[in-house]
Amino acid sequence: MPGANDAETLIVARDLAREYRVGSSTVRALDRLNLTVRRGEFLAVVGVSGSGKSTLLHLLGGLDTPTSGSVCVEGRDLASLRKSERTIYRRTTVGFVFQSYYLVSSMTAEENVALALTFQGAVGPTRRSKAAEAIRRVNLEHRMRHRPNQLSGGEQQRVAIARAIVHAPPLLLADEPTGNLDRATAGEMMALVRRIHEELGTTVVMVTHDEETAAQAADRMVRLRDGRLVDEGASTP
Amino acid sequence: MRAWMIVRLALGGLRRTPLRVVLTSLGVTIASGAIVSMVGFALGLQAQAEAPFEKLGLLNNIDVSPKGLKLDRHPGGPHDPDDPDDAPPPDDAPPTDEETGPEDAPTLDDAAMERIEAIPGVALTYPDFRATGVELISGEKRQRAMAIGFPREASLLPFVRDMLVAGDFFSVGDAPEVILSDQIARKVGFESPEQALGADVTLEATGLAPEEAETFRFERKELKLEVVGVYTVPRMGPHMMMGNSVVLPVELMKEIPGIEFRPALASLRAGRSATDAGYQRVTVRVRHPSDLASVEQTIRDMGFRTRTLLSQLEEMRRFFVFMDVLLASVGTVALVVAALGIINTLLMSVLERLQEIGIYKAIGASDGDLIVLFLTEAGIIGLLGGLGGLALGRVVSWLIELAANAYARSKGVTFHLDLFAFPAWLLAGAVAFAVVVSVLAGVYPAIRAARVDPIRALRRE
Repeated sequence: MPGANDAETLIVARDLAREYRVGSSTVRALDRLNLTVRRGEFLAVVGVSGSGKSTLLHLLGGLDTPTSGSVCVEGRDLASLRKSERTIYRRTTVGFVFQSYYLVSSMTAEENVALALTFQGAVGPTRRSKAAEAIRRVNLEHRMRHRPNQLSGGEQQRVAIARAIVHAPPLLLADEPTGNLDRATAGEMMALVRRIHEELGTTVVMVTHDEETAAQAADRMVRLRDGRLVDEGASTP
Repeated sequence: MRAWMIVRLALGGLRRTPLRVVLTSLGVTIASGAIVSMVGFALGLQAQAEAPFEKLGLLNNIDVSPKGLKLDRHPGGPHDPDDPDDAPPPDDAPPTDEETGPEDAPTLDDAAMERIEAIPGVALTYPDFRATGVELISGEKRQRAMAIGFPREASLLPFVRDMLVAGDFFSVGDAPEVILSDQIARKVGFESPEQALGADVTLEATGLAPEEAETFRFERKELKLEVVGVYTVPRMGPHMMMGNSVVLPVELMKEIPGIEFRPALASLRAGRSATDAGYQRVTVRVRHPSDLASVEQTIRDMGFRTRTLLSQLEEMRRFFVFMDVLLASVGTVALVVAALGIINTLLMSVLERLQEIGIYKAIGASDGDLIVLFLTEAGIIGLLGGLGGLALGRVVSWLIELAANAYARSKGVTFHLDLFAFPAWLLAGAVAFAVVVSVLAGVYPAIRAARVDPIRALRRE
C-alpha cells in the first residue's frame, strides 16, 4: 500500500525526516516516517508531547520542508514547490485548526472566517456569503458578530474550524483541536469535525495526545513515538 | 474589500499597544508640525512681500523708455535692476549711448504710443509724468507733495478702485480734478477723507519750460483743482512713496512747468530739437500678466527700452524657494528621527506577533500580504502623526502670530501682521510626506515580518 499513487490516495509521505538544530546538538523530530492517507479518510495521529506530531502536520501543510524524504499531496511533491507555489497550496488545498484557535481578536467571528478568503483573493458578496455559510456549518450563526473574547473556548474553536473549511479544502489538518477544551466540549468538537468530514468529504489528519478523543472520531489511528510510527491499524471498523 | 480588510487587520494590530503607537506617531506629529509651521512662515512672508505688487497691479506694468535718451543713474554702466522705478533720473547725468546712436533711436512720442496701444493685449498706455516739489494749497495750509499723472481711463483698472477710500476716480471729460493721498489730505487740514471731497484746492508749481530757440523760461503756475477722491497705498512696498502724492489727470500734468524740462534737455544734448523730445517714460499696462512677455518683446522690437517688475519679483521668489527648502529640510531631519521610532515600534511589533504572523501564513497569507499589512500599519502611524502635525503646526503658528501681533501693537503698529500662510498644497503635502516617510520606515520591519518562519512561530513545545 505505501507508494500507491492512484486517485484513492491523497497523501504519500516517504522516508520523511525532519531534524532541527538546537544549539550544537541535532534534534530528530521525524525519523524516516512512511505514511499514506487515502482521499476522504479521517486519520488520527496519536502521540505524547514531543513525539513529532506537530512537525508531521506542518510538513503535510506545506509550512515546513523535510530534511530528507518526500511528501506528495495529490501527486505533487511539496519539497519541489517554490515559495509562492507553497502559499497557493496552503490557500487552496489545506485548512488548519490549532489548539489555541488563533483568532484575530479585533475581528468578529464572521470577519475572522472571511479573513482566510481575503488572503485567498476572494472579494465582495461571494466572500461574505461563503463566510456565513461556513459559520452556519459550525452552528454559530447567532454568534457571527461577536468578537473572540465574547465567545467561549468551544465557540472560538468552532470559528477556527469554520475558517479552516471556508474555502472547501480537500485536506483539513487539526493540531490538538480539543487540547484547550473540557471533555464535554471536546466531544462536541469531535462530532462536528466528524460531521464536516462526512458532509464535505474532507480528508482529515488530526494529531492529538488524547487517544480517547481520537478513537471517538477517526477512521484510523496511528501512533507516533520518537518520530516513528509504531503501529498502524483501523481504530473502528 | 481586500484593502479594507488589511486596514482593519492593521488597525487591530496597532490597537493592541495604543500607548506605543501614540508615542510613535507623536514623533511624526512634531516633525510634520515643524514642517507645516516653518514652511507656512516662509510662505506667509512671501505673501506679505508680494501682496502690494499684486494689489497695485504692478505685475501688469511695462515701463517703456527711449533708448536714445538714456538718462541713467550710472553713466555708461550696466542697467541697474534695483533702480526704484519711481526715482527721477538725476539732472546731471550725461547722455550715454552704447546700444544705438541717438540718431537711429526712435522717439517715444504720441505716435509711438499709438503704435504701442495697438499691440494685442495692451489695456492702457500713458506717459509717466511725475513732478516733485509742487505745493498743494488748501485755505491757509500749504504742503509739499509729488504730483503723479494717471489717465482718466485708469478708472477701468480694478486696482485703482481698490485704492480709493473716499470719492471717485476722475470723471470723463476735462474737468480740473485731483485725487489726494490720505496723508496729504490730513496734512492740509481735512479731518477725514470724506471731508476733502468737493473741496477746491490749488496746486502751485514752478519749473523751467523749454522754448523754441534752445532756451528755457522760468515759469510759476497755479492750477485750481477740485478734490474728487482720496486714496491710500500700503505702508510698505514698491509704491509707498505715493503716500505723499497727489494724482492728476495726465493732460493736466502736461501744464505743470518743468515737466518737459528733462526730456527737452536730453534731446538738446543729443543734438535734436527741444520741442520734439517725446516722453521720457511711458507706462504700458497689459490686460493679463500672461500677455506681459509678448507685449514687452514687441515693444523692444520697436526699438524701446523696457522694464517690468515681474523680473524683480522672480528673483525674490527664487530666494523664497531657497528658504522653503531650507526650512523644510530642518523639518525633514525631525521626520527622519521619527522614522527611526517607527522602525523600532514595528520591529517590536513583529517580534511580539510572531505567532499571529505564523497563523496568517498558515491560513494562506503570502509574504506580500504580510509586507502590505506592516506597511499599512506604518502608513497609519504616519497618517495619524501627519494629521496631528497639521493641528500642532496651526496651533503653534497661531500662538506665534498672537505674540508677534501683541508685540507689534505695543510698538505702535496699527495693522494686523499675517505671518503665516497655509495653502492647501502645503497641508496635503505635509501629511503625504509624513505617510511616505513612515511607509518607507516600515519597509524593513515588513520584510522581517514576511521572513518569519511559520513553524518557529507556531511551535509551542
